Amino acid sequence: MGSDILSEEEESIHMTRSQITTHLLRIFSERFEIDDPGLDDDLREVYEFDSIDAIEMLREIELMLDSELTRDEKKQAMGISTLNQIIDYIEALAVARPAN
Amino acid sequence: MNRRVVITGCAAITPIGNTRSEIVRHLTEGISGVSAMRPDNLLTEHIHSKVFGSVDYAIDYDFKRQYRKTMGPVAYYACQAAKEAIADAGLEENFVTSGRMGVAFGSTHGSPTVQRNIYRTFFGDSDAKLSSIGAVDYLKSMVHTTAVNITKMFGITGRVISSSTACTTSSQSIGYGFEAVKFGLQDAMLCGGADEYDTTTVAVFDNLLACSTDFNATPHLTPRPFDVRRDGLVVGEGAGAVILEDFETARKRGARILAEVLGFACNNNGGDLILPNMDGIEQTIRLGLDSAHVAADDIDWVSAHATATKMGDVIEAQAMARTYGAKPWVTALKSYMGHTMGSCGAIETILSMYLMQDGLVPPTLNLEAVDKRCAMVRHAQHLIEHPIRTVAVQNFAFGGVNTCLILRKAGS
Repeated sequence: MGSDILSEEEESIHMTRSQITTHLLRIFSERFEIDDPGLDDDLREVYEFDSIDAIEMLREIELMLDSELTRDEKKQAMGISTLNQIIDYIEALAVARPAN
Repeated sequence: MNRRVVITGCAAITPIGNTRSEIVRHLTEGISGVSAMRPDNLLTEHIHSKVFGSVDYAIDYDFKRQYRKTMGPVAYYACQAAKEAIADAGLEENFVTSGRMGVAFGSTHGSPTVQRNIYRTFFGDSDAKLSSIGAVDYLKSMVHTTAVNITKMFGITGRVISSSTACTTSSQSIGYGFEAVKFGLQDAMLCGGADEYDTTTVAVFDNLLACSTDFNATPHLTPRPFDVRRDGLVVGEGAGAVILEDFETARKRGARILAEVLGFACNNNGGDLILPNMDGIEQTIRLGLDSAHVAADDIDWVSAHATATKMGDVIEAQAMARTYGAKPWVTALKSYMGHTMGSCGAIETILSMYLMQDGLVPPTLNLEAVDKRCAMVRHAQHLIEHPIRTVAVQNFAFGGVNTCLILRKAGS
């Protein structure tokens, strides 16, 4: 799970948007049993993705970035409802972190 | 308010089967569900007892991830038993979710499997920074995990009672559910208990020299309640769930009634937390009979707690003799499956209903030569066809907790 399913080249925190999307779709499928969610689908409404899933997702993002999220960063995620917003969130987190 | 309370549905997951027919087959053919303990790479190599009452058949769970994500093994058992019991009772979803039905369900200590994984994280050598406990680990391991996973899965919005009193966990669940319905607090209660495969419990009893060790090579020959060669209990796993309903509510919807709960008693020995106590047990039985408004003579059969410990069986036999005399048949159902801990009270209640319906008194398995200190009651040593109208289900727990449930056959 998490970083185990990243390829060598994906382990950089500066992944492209496409790479982040591919990685997230894999997490959604393997961890949350949600296959091919629409990028702008409301995850709670359509897939019953709840607060417990959101907390688990933040842990997956920490593993993806190989970096612990601050409490403020976690709080910023609370309004997220779509996959596209998760991708935006990860891109912003990556920019705020130095490259490995 | 003082209403009649009936059982309209039940289901059990036991070491001797998951269906009524399979369970009754084991009881009538004298087949044990005790087998060799599975290695767990933690405690088993240190434990002297090598036997366990295991659920060694596959269960076809079809729970959606939405429910699975907060469930440890014990909640799987609980939710499956609950699902089958609701179906058995024929309850409609709009009633189940109406707030008129609550849940009384517990386990000995949540999910020890999940707890072990948490401890591995804390005490292991790995960097715990990114692999700290998951958000759902507490929900899977907490002591009321069975009750609230049931409420979530079935949308139950009534009251929640989650006792966790070791061996009296699920007899208390039924008893407190009975009281909730009897006194009009709920129209129905889903009651029971579950415990998953766990060697921690075995280790505890093993250290107290209370576990069976003489029959490691022949697991089916232990436990041996009331027998001269008994050498201790055998820990088991399983789940039991019953639907309790107000009689009038059940009658109006045309429900099939399996049995009536006539009474319930629970007390404490008020002293030692481990040693069995004859006065405490005797008092529980008398309180149970009073609660049920029946005389000791009315009891046709007793499902004894009888774990096959040296002193526990003697004390229980003598307390039964003081209260019932030698009239009712006595069977120790744990002889077939070991001590299923938090689920034993519910499982033994369900088996008692099956046997009442069939008019069968099964023998205590492995009871070949009755210990003379236990001989003052009427032990069943072979399968007996005998009408059972009223049964007492007795359970006693560490902590000095005692319970007695009194059931009556439907239509009696």
